[in-house]
Amino acid sequence: MIEYLIKGPLWYFSLAVFCIGVLWQMARIVFAKGKTDLSVARGSASSGAIRNVFSRFVPHREIAAQIRLQVVAGYMFHLGLFALLFFAAPHVHFLEKHLLGFGWTPMPHWAFIVAAQFAFFGLILLWLRRMLNSVSRLISTTDDHITAILTFVVMLTGCLALGKGFHALNLLHFFTVELLMVYFPFSCLMHAFTFIPSRAFTGAWFGRRGIDA
Amino acid sequence: MSERLEKGLNMLRQEMDKKVMSFFSSCVRCGVCAEACLFYTETRDPRYTPIYKTEPMRKLWNSEYSFWGRLASKLGISKPMTEADLADWEELVYDGCSMCGRCSMVCPLGVDISMVIFKVKHALAVAGFSPEGLVGAVQRAVDIGSPMGITMKAVLATIKHAEENTGLKIPMDVEGADYLALLSSNEIALYPEYLEALARIFDHAGVSWTLSSEAYEATNAGLQIGNKATAGQLVQRVVDGAEKLKAKNVISPECGHAYTALRWEGPNFIGKAYPFRVVHILELLDELQANGSLKTTGLESDRLTFHDPCSIVRRGGIQAQPRNLLQPIAQNFVEMKDHGSMNWCCGGGGGVSSNERAEELKHTVFNRKKSQIEELEVDAVVTACSNCRMVMEEGIEINEMDIPLLGLTELIAEHLAEKSN
Amino acid sequence: MLDSFRSSILYDVLKLTSTLLLVFMLTAPATAGPGPPKRPDFPQGVSTTNPGNDLWREVRQRDLPVTGTSQVKGVDSGVLINVEGDRWARFRIDNPVRHAPTLLVAVVLVLLAFYVLRGKVGIEGGLSGRMVFRFTDYERSLHWCLAIVFLFLAITGLILLLGRTLMIPLFGHHLFSLIASASKEGHNLFGPIFLVSLLLMLVSFARRNIYEKGDLTWLLKGGGIVGKGHVSGGFFNMGEKSWYWLVILVGLAISISGLILVFPNFGQGRVIMMVSNVVHVFGAIVLIAVSIGHMYLGSIGTEGSSEGMKSGYVDINWAEAHHDRWAKTCHENDEILSAEEFARLQGNPIDSGDATTGAAND
Repeated sequence: MIEYLIKGPLWYFSLAVFCIGVLWQMARIVFAKGKTDLSVARGSASSGAIRNVFSRFVPHREIAAQIRLQVVAGYMFHLGLFALLFFAAPHVHFLEKHLLGFGWTPMPHWAFIVAAQFAFFGLILLWLRRMLNSVSRLISTTDDHITAILTFVVMLTGCLALGKGFHALNLLHFFTVELLMVYFPFSCLMHAFTFIPSRAFTGAWFGRRGIDA
Repeated sequence: MSERLEKGLNMLRQEMDKKVMSFFSSCVRCGVCAEACLFYTETRDPRYTPIYKTEPMRKLWNSEYSFWGRLASKLGISKPMTEADLADWEELVYDGCSMCGRCSMVCPLGVDISMVIFKVKHALAVAGFSPEGLVGAVQRAVDIGSPMGITMKAVLATIKHAEENTGLKIPMDVEGADYLALLSSNEIALYPEYLEALARIFDHAGVSWTLSSEAYEATNAGLQIGNKATAGQLVQRVVDGAEKLKAKNVISPECGHAYTALRWEGPNFIGKAYPFRVVHILELLDELQANGSLKTTGLESDRLTFHDPCSIVRRGGIQAQPRNLLQPIAQNFVEMKDHGSMNWCCGGGGGVSSNERAEELKHTVFNRKKSQIEELEVDAVVTACSNCRMVMEEGIEINEMDIPLLGLTELIAEHLAEKSN
Repeated sequence: MLDSFRSSILYDVLKLTSTLLLVFMLTAPATAGPGPPKRPDFPQGVSTTNPGNDLWREVRQRDLPVTGTSQVKGVDSGVLINVEGDRWARFRIDNPVRHAPTLLVAVVLVLLAFYVLRGKVGIEGGLSGRMVFRFTDYERSLHWCLAIVFLFLAITGLILLLGRTLMIPLFGHHLFSLIASASKEGHNLFGPIFLVSLLLMLVSFARRNIYEKGDLTWLLKGGGIVGKGHVSGGFFNMGEKSWYWLVILVGLAISISGLILVFPNFGQGRVIMMVSNVVHVFGAIVLIAVSIGHMYLGSIGTEGSSEGMKSGYVDINWAEAHHDRWAKTCHENDEILSAEEFARLQGNPIDSGDATTGAAND
């Protein structure tokens, strides 16, 4: 019964909420009002936008030393999570079987473990810093903590189910993923998508002013 | 709801465009921007974290544009925004931010934080939460024509003085001149050398130029306080003056925020494109040097450095020009640490220098510039913004450093070659 | 009434006891009988040896360890039955499994008793509100990261060690096997994170934890917790240093033995694995037991201790009480912040009136 619920209606519900929610949020940004800049451009807005989407992956040399913890832990977490999400064997098989119809070569088990360790270590450090640093503590919202905990729980249940053979553990992971998918479009997890328009808008602004940002 | 709160919130709603929505949707509160902010690094007060200064905007976004916020207000369980949500940010935004834009450079999500702070300023300004010093400056700019209360009489006196010193005629209200030059109040009151330098350089390079008796003030107190209506009114004066003289180009003086107001924000303030081109004096000098009409001679043997004014370099894109201009005349030129688009602000931008209440804070944050300068052991600092120059001269005096500040345009004027023809 | 009785612990205990009694009664005649039973169909007085006995003795390795040869090439592949394995399994059940719960409960009880009798160890004159900087963001993040990973490993590890005896009666076999599988996966995954955190901890804190002159006095005076009187300490005092080195050394032992256990593919034989297991288990129990004391002292045990790992600042009175030599250098370097300045740095200024108008630098 529970299995039917989690793998049936609940899964389709959360998938729908996730997809429609993300599209809706992106559409709201794209179709929101925006004024045309009447000043004469010095450089190209579009090339500035594209450049900025990529250049922001690298921190500015001038403050790199001050933000080392965020950069190192941030990359550990994001790269680890990315590898787990798209290259863990169970995920590849799941995507192939239930969503996409095609698959790709998953990473070996040892790489999975290493990626998970990177992701956990990074996430724990980032979340701790959020609570321990006076700046992050001041600006953090409840949403930030919910997303951190939810992501942690999803990763943890996934790794605890590694032993295979225990259906209930798989279902638990499945269920937490569904929670995350439902929460995703209404939280700062949206930054996984909105970082692109955000960087692009700013990059376009810099680009038309001829600033090398 | 009080009227001023209503006004402020309406302004925030008006400023809530696609950019702001993408910014707040992507911000993960990582706090990286704090390390880029002069006011945070020099005071270690987390309240000066750039993104925290945008809280009024974020709160409005959260309550009216985010799912949970809208749900909560529908259910009546959210706390509506109060006057304190605006009032408490007045000091953070006006005293604790020089609009230098360094935060916007480092945000990993690409949030243009200083732009959002500027939008918060709009709301605070219409709601009447602005420091007295700036309110007075705006009043003087509207009534007298200059934020420092400088009248046409004073301008004429400066012109007369400059003509005596240079032996050159300074053209006034010449119709059809190629370039209409503007001045900032500082340049009239504190640094009249700037006008003399213009006269010498343009005479040397054979540029057809003029001043206007109707549009001489380039600064824009409306921009500093964040009042778009006033800012537009002040820009319109320049546009009217330029149109009347049929000027093809308007020269923005060295002053940083004047350049932003005229070159970039002006057309948006008045709602239409200009019939003329706006060019910064450094851009023009660079053009003249490149096409051979500006030739310099002689070398400065002093050890010099260049302070990049935020509005001109980081937010204005004029980074190569000052270097091109200094290169042929400065033998012993050194760059500051973090120079260029990541340079540190002098601490007096964005109206901070016109805001007496922020004085003490301004002196505290000058420590960064102080250590940057001291590290280089230079004989003089060159800059290209009269406000930066004034703020730094003050800081240098307070810290008993004894290092002269030079305006780049004046430095060029001192090195003009003999006219060949 | 009957239902509630059935679900009570008493019922479980009675059931268990009666089952045990039954088993005992059934097996008692067989074990308590007078000598080996006679085999009537076998000719009496003829002594024969079952030829299988010798083989079995060899296989069982009763006399001495023997290694045979086998077609299978691999570590320990010549050993049919590992005698040491039996001894190890018995040792594990007789010692750590049997005594660890007692030890851990005892530690908690002792601390509880101490708290009741002695109460929170206060600071003379209380907290002043004037603060001095102690740990950076990174140092605190590292500490808590190590703490979180340690707790996770301790819980999953204890489940694996004691679960069979303590949890099966509670949860049943099915649920326990699920929990045990999850614990094993989680334990193996987080282990290396513990090692990395530990090494980073070693790099960041080692220098300040080197023993120096004056540390012995601290020990002689019982750390100021037992008895009264002034005890001397530097940035870290004798107690903290000892805890630090215990964590580092025992932590390394646990980590290395854990890696040996989790990667059996590097040619280590069973004996090495068994030794590693013993080291791993004993090290872990020692560390868990002492860490309970550390948690106690860092939270409700002593006044003002937790602040250093929360905000990174500590009260100057706390510093003087526990680290007088360090406090002295703080005084000398003029590093003490007022309560207002501290609040400002934490982002919650006390006087909102002119909170934002700049920092008084001196």
